[in-house]
Amino acid sequence: MFLIDSKNQQKDYQIRKASKVSLSRYGRSTVWVWFVVALVLSFFAFGAKTPVALTWLSGGDIVLFAVHRPGHRFIRRMFKVVCWQVGLIVTLYCLRFGVAEGLLSGLTTSWQLCLAFLPGAIFIETVPEHLITRMLTDVMPSRSAFVLATCLNFIPMVLAEAKSIYEGQVLRGARILPKDLANPGNWAEMLNCLVVPMMIHSMKLAQEIALAAKARDFGKKRGRTAWPGESDS
Amino acid sequence: MAEVIRLQKYSFAYPGASRYVLRDIDLSIRAGECHCLGGSTGSGKTSLALALKGLLPDGETNGVISRFLPGGDGAGGLGIVLQNPETQILRRSVGAETAFGLENLCVLPAEMPGKVRSALDQAGLDKSFEGETGKLSMGEKYRLILAGQLVMGPALLIIDEPAAQLDPAGLENLLEIIRRLKVAGTALLLLENRPGPLQAAIDHYWHLNDTGQLLTGPLARPASNLEASPPRLPASTLPPEDNVIDVLGMTIGGAEGLAVWSDVSFAVPPGQRVVLTGSNGSGKTTMLRCLTGFLQPDNGTLKVFGAKPQARELRGRVGCLYQNPQKQLFETTVFDEVAFPLRRLRENRRELAARVTETLVLCGIENLAPMSPHTLSFGQKHLVALASVLVIAPQLLLLDDPFAGLDPKTAEKMLRLLTKINVQQDTTIVLATHEPKNLSCWADQTLTITGGNVVSH
Repeated sequence: MFLIDSKNQQKDYQIRKASKVSLSRYGRSTVWVWFVVALVLSFFAFGAKTPVALTWLSGGDIVLFAVHRPGHRFIRRMFKVVCWQVGLIVTLYCLRFGVAEGLLSGLTTSWQLCLAFLPGAIFIETVPEHLITRMLTDVMPSRSAFVLATCLNFIPMVLAEAKSIYEGQVLRGARILPKDLANPGNWAEMLNCLVVPMMIHSMKLAQEIALAAKARDFGKKRGRTAWPGESDS
Repeated sequence: MAEVIRLQKYSFAYPGASRYVLRDIDLSIRAGECHCLGGSTGSGKTSLALALKGLLPDGETNGVISRFLPGGDGAGGLGIVLQNPETQILRRSVGAETAFGLENLCVLPAEMPGKVRSALDQAGLDKSFEGETGKLSMGEKYRLILAGQLVMGPALLIIDEPAAQLDPAGLENLLEIIRRLKVAGTALLLLENRPGPLQAAIDHYWHLNDTGQLLTGPLARPASNLEASPPRLPASTLPPEDNVIDVLGMTIGGAEGLAVWSDVSFAVPPGQRVVLTGSNGSGKTTMLRCLTGFLQPDNGTLKVFGAKPQARELRGRVGCLYQNPQKQLFETTVFDEVAFPLRRLRENRRELAARVTETLVLCGIENLAPMSPHTLSFGQKHLVALASVLVIAPQLLLLDDPFAGLDPKTAEKMLRLLTKINVQQDTTIVLATHEPKNLSCWADQTLTITGGNVVSH
């Protein structure tokens, strides 16, 4: 019995050692540095209140952007999200505080929120997913790291599904077009027609993804090794 | 050849279910054999596959499954490709995705690249390890998923409904892979009602009946009535200004500046049945999104009912059933689900009830009216989603791969229904599919997409 345990421990050690070696060889520290930079920028964005502070943070984001250089698709996607976010927040602020006071406060809050989520979005978009998984493995069990990284990976798919449901519901008559949503009376429709089916569908997708992972023996063994990275090819 | 797996009097019931989904199954699969298992939607094909892999939840089980696999009786050495390719690709690079199973089996990282390259070669996917999985075509994604299974060296590979995802070219590729695997001694089990070209590799046919029993032979196909409802309108009988859809020189750009459609022109007169066909990723869904006004063409003219399409203006006139339409269901009863579009069109209560009932009868699901749509079978949900589109009596009906995942019986029922509303209500139908073979005699016009261009015939 002792012998078997000892053998298993030796194999586990070999596996861990091999993973760590490949991890350091393919820039574990670099990934950590960028992760911390993104985290710090986001963190300060929540605390920044003055236009000066926000301008400095914007400069930081621009540097992050220039270094990572995400593709045109990402820029287009982010532009749409930012437009929606700004439009929604400024509208709500204007409704609550009036145009004179709400416009500037709304714009500042929108700016702040953009700076809070943009560094994380750039990091997730540009750092290879297996490197994120490996980085997460340093601070959490490998299975949890995989689950978290996979969740991040499926965000674009979930958004595409949401878009498909949205378009289908609009043609069924749902009053959820941007013009319709100018009327707060239609906001509940958004919840019923889009959020509810999206939640149901997301749960189904999560089950399918979990099944697909199990079909490839995920969770069969206690530990996991890590793909050494593309450079090995 | 040696036996790989054997089931003896195997039965299974899901926890809380009142009946067995699989009943007294006797099945033996040997190395190098290819078996094909058919059955109507919900008959238990996928459940049987999950049982073989040991992935079913704890339910009521009788009988024995004996696995003679390299991994012992723990279902190691058994690969399974599930239905939806999109939820099976878990990583962003080809190398990492293929190696996922090896990571789970704790294979040393240094050994992975060689095994991954060999599996990619076996699956016929000539991509570098750093290739992005998100940029692969559907056929390539399918081969990647196969490589992800083959890298683990399965003695038995189960493939669930490949024809629902792959176009004819993709199926031909899969046939070649299956042939190679058979020669190498891998056993295969295809869960498929419409194997198409894969028939050439199949050694044994089985099907599950509605009580979960396994019978020999393929699932009997229902008699088609397509010949009894031929197309009615020659394309040129109406003046061009009456066309429901007019497309002239349309170009649509896709990701990274590549054109999905280039300088495309066609017209659809009222009451026509149009089949829009092309391989996976050729732009069929893109076209439907343009027709509904959710996507704007880069160049050219597109008119629906004589005007530039705008979603707001098309409500009540256009019905659209996107892929996997069950995902749009949200009400608590089938009646309310079907009634939703009429409520939004402010139909009065009495008229609304009459029209909903009429539509439910038309779709043959009137008995489901008080039930929750979320508790229905896949095929029933499909019909509910269709009913909720038909209830407004749309002048134009757009359908994106409406038969995907449906068994032949339900697909035939749906096609009869479409024919009926086309004939009775003069509804113009545009149906996008990657499997046009069975619809050629049904359509007035077939639009085939090849290389970003459309050929009408």
